[in-house]
Amino acid sequence: MKKLLTLIFIFNLYSQDIVTKNRRCFLCHGKEDYKIIEDGIERPLFVSPSEYYQSVHKDMLCTQCHYDVITIPHLRKPKKIHCLQCHYAGNVVGAPVKEMPEKYKESVHGRAKEKGKIAPDCIDCHTTHSIRHPGDSLSTINKKNIPNTCGKCHKLVKEEYIKSIHGKALLKGVLETAVCNDCHKEHDILPPEDPRSTLNPKNVIRTCEKCHADITIMKKYGIPVKQVEAFKESFHGIALEYGVVKAANCVSCHGYHDILPSTDPKSPIHPKNLAATCGKCHPGASQNVAKGKYHIIPEEKEAGIVYYVYNFFKWFTFLVIFGLIVHIILDLTGRGIRKFKK
Amino acid sequence: MKGKRNILRFSLNWRIQHFLLMVSVFLLIISGIALRFSDSWFGKFLIFLEGGFEARGALHRLSAFLLIFTALYHLIYIIFTKEGRKEFKSFLFEKDDFSNYFKTILYNFGKIEEKPKIKRYGFKEKLQYWVFFLFVFLMIITGIVMWWHNYFLVLIPKWLFDLVYGIHGWGGTLILIFIVFWHIYEIHLTPSNFPINLSFWDGYVSEEWLKEEHFLEYEEMKKGEE
Repeated sequence: MKKLLTLIFIFNLYSQDIVTKNRRCFLCHGKEDYKIIEDGIERPLFVSPSEYYQSVHKDMLCTQCHYDVITIPHLRKPKKIHCLQCHYAGNVVGAPVKEMPEKYKESVHGRAKEKGKIAPDCIDCHTTHSIRHPGDSLSTINKKNIPNTCGKCHKLVKEEYIKSIHGKALLKGVLETAVCNDCHKEHDILPPEDPRSTLNPKNVIRTCEKCHADITIMKKYGIPVKQVEAFKESFHGIALEYGVVKAANCVSCHGYHDILPSTDPKSPIHPKNLAATCGKCHPGASQNVAKGKYHIIPEEKEAGIVYYVYNFFKWFTFLVIFGLIVHIILDLTGRGIRKFKK
Repeated sequence: MKGKRNILRFSLNWRIQHFLLMVSVFLLIISGIALRFSDSWFGKFLIFLEGGFEARGALHRLSAFLLIFTALYHLIYIIFTKEGRKEFKSFLFEKDDFSNYFKTILYNFGKIEEKPKIKRYGFKEKLQYWVFFLFVFLMIITGIVMWWHNYFLVLIPKWLFDLVYGIHGWGGTLILIFIVFWHIYEIHLTPSNFPINLSFWDGYVSEEWLKEEHFLEYEEMKKGEE
């Protein structure tokens, strides 16, 4: 009997269009003040139909996810559902599957959740009934909105971030700027101690260089692009490359959430603050550290006196090689001539 | 080297100094060049041989200590010992060195018949000695600045530190090229020494060789024997 009823119900569903079918659910759930009291806590049960029909799931029936609702009105509380019931590899409903859920399991959030701690699951960032495509400017995971999405929990970091040069640029609508996930990634956020993490001291340079070594982005905003290259050639850069993580990386001097340009007096790389910044590792560093240029490439004129000294040595070295070879040839020729004459 | 090596040309003291210099400079070069070429397979291989990046630095400093010791030893030798003062005097440039240099060129072109007569140390040895003297001094000074960088970052401006870093690197490259070329030709490949002039090790050269290469020293020795 139950089976028959289900079949009739399903048949009924497929004979009507989505909006008409979902209208039955929205009859109750579409009311803004629709809620229940559960264990003394008020639980809103409102789902905005207009939001829903702009979401990526707009062509789906409510009951396709809430599969245990077979009669309307439903008598029992529907089971808790999860995105993974459709978004898994090999699903037949055609839900797009990427490697994200797998990555999420290994992330700091996934592992915290597994241990029963309060940590975000899919819906905390993607929302439930109003999931939009990331390209949609109203999406919670649209680049513009990401600091707000992460900031729901990471409030202090968000405060720091919006005052930084990256945050300020975002507010101005510069979409090439870095938001949370550009450095932290999103589904596979790993703790900095993890050698695979983008924030691991060994990997920081590669995280920053994604944008800061990109000439098209940097040129657009007048930001010097050679710093990354110069850093890699410096002693700090070489030491890091060989796994000496006590050597300074980008964030050691520039900070991270609160990065500011050197012209800002609050920046750790403002000339007045440099002594203190270098002093973190090189105790007693004086104002002398501000007398000179940083991230210089000795082969380029901007390096000043270093450029001229390098060039002098370069040519002098060639001259020495040339001179030595000439004298060796001269000596051998002389010996040859004398032997021949004999 | 032709003939029996029976003339003691270098004292034990002299040979010890050459040995210390040889060992320390060799170690300094292989640990220094490893950093300079750290982005190539060559540098990576050297760093691997030296036991990693930090061990490379330790080796460089250890051999630097040996070089500083050798340099001080040499200074004491040329100031406080009779032998040292005599050797040092024979390293000072004279007018003859310049004329001998041009004469040698002419001789090699076959323009003059007679080989220029060279003293105990000719222009070649003097140039080698003074280039080394100057560069060891330069490398020790710049090396000390980088070794105690925390102290020197207080004293000297950043641009000077960058300069010191550059001079040390290029100075090392230059000295490497200079001694490698010099030794490969003058000590090994040159027909009068081939395959090797062993006097650096036991101090002995042959009469024939001395007569050919350092005629005036040979003459003086003969005078002394009489």
